[in-house]
Amino acid sequence: MAMFSQNPLMNGPNYSFSQTPSTAAAGNKEHSFYPYTDNGGSTLAISGNDFTIIAGDTRSTSGYNINTRYSPKVFKIGGTTSSQDDATLVLSVVGFAADGAALKERLDAIVKMYRYQHGKPMSVKACAQRLSTILYGKRFFPYYVTAILGGLDEEGKGAVYSYDPVGSYEREQCRAAGAAASLIMPFLDNQVNYKNQYIPGSGEGHALQEREKIPLPRNEVEDLVKDAFDSAVERHIEVGDGLQMLIITKSGIEEKYLPLKKD
Amino acid sequence: MVFVQVSPRLRFPSKFPKLSFSVKQFEANHVTGADLYFVASGIQFGHANQTRASGAWRAQAPDGCQTIGFKPSHHSITSTVVPNTFSTSIGTGYDLTNSVFSPDGRNFQVEYAVKAVENGGTSIGIRCKDGVVLAVEKVISSKLLKAGANKRIATVDRHIGAVSSGLVPDGRHFVSRARDEASSWRSTYKTPITVKDLASRMGGYLQAYTLYSSVRPFGITGIVAGWDSELELPVDGQVGSGPKIGSGGKVEGKKYGGPGLFMIEPSGQYWGYYGAATGKGRQTAKAELEKLDLAAGKLSLQDGVKEAARIIYVAHADNKDKEFELEMTWISSLDGPTKGRHEEVPKDILEEAEKLAKKHLDDDDDEEETKEDDKMEE
Amino acid sequence: MNHLPQAWGRPRDDVYGAYDHAYLQNGPKQHTQSPAVTGTSVLALKFKDGVVIAADNLASYGSLARFTDVKRLRKFADTTVVGFGGDVSDMQYLDRLLNSLDIEEAYGGSSHTLNAQNLHTYLSKVMYKRRSEFNPLWNQLLVAGLDGEGKPFLASADLLGTTFSSPSLATGFGAHLAQPLLRKVAFDEEAAAKLTVEEAVEAIKESMKVLFYRDARSLDKYSIAVVTKDGIDLKQDEKLEKQSWAFADQIRGYGTQIN
Repeated sequence: MAMFSQNPLMNGPNYSFSQTPSTAAAGNKEHSFYPYTDNGGSTLAISGNDFTIIAGDTRSTSGYNINTRYSPKVFKIGGTTSSQDDATLVLSVVGFAADGAALKERLDAIVKMYRYQHGKPMSVKACAQRLSTILYGKRFFPYYVTAILGGLDEEGKGAVYSYDPVGSYEREQCRAAGAAASLIMPFLDNQVNYKNQYIPGSGEGHALQEREKIPLPRNEVEDLVKDAFDSAVERHIEVGDGLQMLIITKSGIEEKYLPLKKD
Repeated sequence: MVFVQVSPRLRFPSKFPKLSFSVKQFEANHVTGADLYFVASGIQFGHANQTRASGAWRAQAPDGCQTIGFKPSHHSITSTVVPNTFSTSIGTGYDLTNSVFSPDGRNFQVEYAVKAVENGGTSIGIRCKDGVVLAVEKVISSKLLKAGANKRIATVDRHIGAVSSGLVPDGRHFVSRARDEASSWRSTYKTPITVKDLASRMGGYLQAYTLYSSVRPFGITGIVAGWDSELELPVDGQVGSGPKIGSGGKVEGKKYGGPGLFMIEPSGQYWGYYGAATGKGRQTAKAELEKLDLAAGKLSLQDGVKEAARIIYVAHADNKDKEFELEMTWISSLDGPTKGRHEEVPKDILEEAEKLAKKHLDDDDDEEETKEDDKMEE
Repeated sequence: MNHLPQAWGRPRDDVYGAYDHAYLQNGPKQHTQSPAVTGTSVLALKFKDGVVIAADNLASYGSLARFTDVKRLRKFADTTVVGFGGDVSDMQYLDRLLNSLDIEEAYGGSSHTLNAQNLHTYLSKVMYKRRSEFNPLWNQLLVAGLDGEGKPFLASADLLGTTFSSPSLATGFGAHLAQPLLRKVAFDEEAAAKLTVEEAVEAIKESMKVLFYRDARSLDKYSIAVVTKDGIDLKQDEKLEKQSWAFADQIRGYGTQIN
C-alpha cells in the first residue's frame, strides 16, 4: 500500500518529502528505448567442391508489416569498384537490418583497405577471423545479426563461415540462418550431409551404414536452395517475395534473382 | 658591444639619407664603437659595393637604439649610420612586433599588412538598388593554371559572398571564419545573419589579430556583400505559419532587408559602402565608382554587373603587363535572378559584360589617339 | 497530528498517493525515451517521372490535436522532399541539420547538389548513429526525389537506423491502412514506372482520405508534393475532397446502437 511505501519502520502515513534513508539505492533508470528490431527473413549458405552459394530472401518486415519486397541481405565484400564486380567474398546478414548494413559497410571498408595495402584480395580465412573480431568488439552492444561469410579457400574449395551475433564462428559445409533457420537447417542436414540416410538393408541399429557423402554439383545445390526457400515461404510469414543467390566460383561471383511467393 | 648576425638577404631601399664611416675595431662577431647604432632592416648600406665581402651583415641593436646595415672588410667595417634624428619611425624597432604602439600611436604591423593588400589583385563590390555585385581581378600567376578554376569569391551563407585582396591564404581563412560565424549565428538565432552583423563579427575578429605579439594581422582587406531578406522569414526549422498578422514589432513604412556591402581592413576597421574597392587598382576603381552616383540608389543590378566588369578592366589598365581573369558573383533581391542567393554571375551575362568592358577600353584609347591627332594637326 | 514539523501542511500519501520523487533524482544523463509532439503517417508513391509524397498538417500531443498547421514535408535543395513522421522537435532538428548541409554544399560553388539518394544515405547514418548512442531521433522519414541516374527514388529511414526502399511507402498508421491501397496501383517497380502523375496523386489523395476516416490522430488538412526532374511542386494547404461518411452508420459494435 502506498501509505507505507516510504518507510516501513514508521508504520504510519507518509508525506511528500522523502523520509526514506538517502543511502537507499536509487536503482538503475530503465530505458524505454529499445535499440533493436527484427526485420525477419532468412539466409542460407552451402559450400561445394569449387563453389559456394549464399542465398537470402529479399523480404523486409516490421511485425506483420512488409516494409519492402526487395531488400537484399547478401552482399559482395571488398571489391574495388562501386559495382563490386571484382569482389571475391560474400557476406549475408539477417536479423536487425540496420546493424546488418552497418556491419556490411565496416567489413567492406576493412577488406578494401587490406586489398589496397597488400595488393591482393583478402583470403576468406583471414576475413572470417577479422569479422569475428569486429563482432566481438561490440560484445556489450552487439550487432544483432546472424552473419554468414562465404568464398573460396586457398585450395579453391568452397568455404562457408557462420557466426553468432558476438563473433563466435566456425567453418561449415552449410548453414541456414534467420527466421526460417529452424525450418531449413534440418532439411540441409538431410539433403547435404545425408543425415539419417542409410544404405537400405545394410543392417540394424549400430550396424546401419550411412549413405556415402559425395560433393554435390552446383546445379543440384542451386535446386536445393530453391526448394529450401520455397518450403520456408510456405511455413514462415517473414520469408518471401524474392530469392537472391550469389554463386562464388574461381571465375567470379554470379548473381541470380528468382521470385518467391509474395503472400 | 653588440652581437652581429649574418643575414645574406638584405636589400634596402635607397631613399634614406646616408652617412658612412669606418670602424677599426672588429673582433670576430663583436663590434665596439660608442657612436655606432645597429640595424635590422630598412636601410641600404652606404658603401656596400666598395667593400668586398661574402655577404651582408646584420646587427641587433640594444633597446632604444637605431639601426644600420654594414659590411665587414678585412679589418674594418664600412657602413651606413642612421642618426637618431632620422625622420621616419620605421627602423626604430616599433615595427618589429605586433601589438606594440610606436610613440606616435601607430601599429606598424598593421600598416605593413595594408602594404600586402595594396599589392593584391583589385576587388570591388557595388551595392545596387536590387542586389549587390562582387568582382575580382584575378591575376594569372602561371599559364599552367586552369582557366576558371581557383575561385576567389566565396559563398559564406546562402545570401552572402566574400572576396578579398592581399594574401590569398589569409583570404581563405577570412572566409572560413565568416562561414563559422554565419553558421553559429544560425544555430543560435535560427535565422540568417545580416550582412551588417557578419561585418561586425569579422571586424572584431580581424581586430583581435592586432592585439597580440604571437600573431600577425591579416594581409587582406575583405569585402562582404549580401542581401538581407526584405520579407518576414520563417525561423529555421519553423513548423507552422504563425499568426496571420506576423510576428509584430514592425514599424509602419520602414523598409526591412535589402542589399549590404561592407569592407573590412587589416586593422579590423569596417565601413558600409555604396561601392567598395581594394587591392592594387583601388584608386582607379574608387574614382570610377564615385562617378556612378551609387548613393542615389538608381543603379540596377544588371547595370551594376556591367559597371563592375568595366571598372575591373579599367583598374587593370595600370597593370597591363600581367594577364588576368575576371570573376564575378552577385546577390539579387528575392524576386531577382538569384532569389536572394549568392551565386556566380551566369556565363552569358559575364561574357556580355566583359565584351562591353573591353569595348569601353578600346573606345577610350581611340579617343586619346584622336585628341593627340588633333594636337598634331594644330 | 504528526509531530514532525516538516510534515505540517504537506499532502498526505494516504490521501494523495505516494509522492513521486523521480523528477528530483539527477540520475544518468537523460535522453528521449518517448516522443512528445508527434506527426502521424507519411505516404509516398513513385510514378513514371518522379515521386508523390504527402502528410497531414497535424502535430498531436498524445491524444490532443495540439498544432493544426504543421508542415511535415520539407524541401531540400530543390531536388528532394523529406516527409517526417514522429517527434516534431526532432524533425525541426533534422530540418536545420539539412539546412546547414545545403549551405555547406553551396560553399563548393559547383552546381552539383546532393540528390535524394545521397540525402537518404546521410539521414540514415545520422539516425543509426543516434540510436547507437541511445539518444534516438524519434522519427520515421520518407525521402522522395531522384537518384544519381535521374530515376525516381523513394526510401525510408527510422529511429533505429533501419532503411528500405519500395515503389510505395507509408509510415505509422499508413503502413497498415494506406500501403495496401498504394500497392494495388503499384505492386512492383514495373507497375509504378507505368503510373502517370495524375494516377499517382489520385492514389495518394484517396489514401489520405482513408487515413482521415480511420486514424484518430489525423487531419483533413495536408501537404502534398510532386518531385520530378523539373523540380518540386509543393502544396501545403490542401483540404481532403469528396469525403463520404456513409460507411459510418454501417459500423457495428461501438457506441449505443442496439442491432
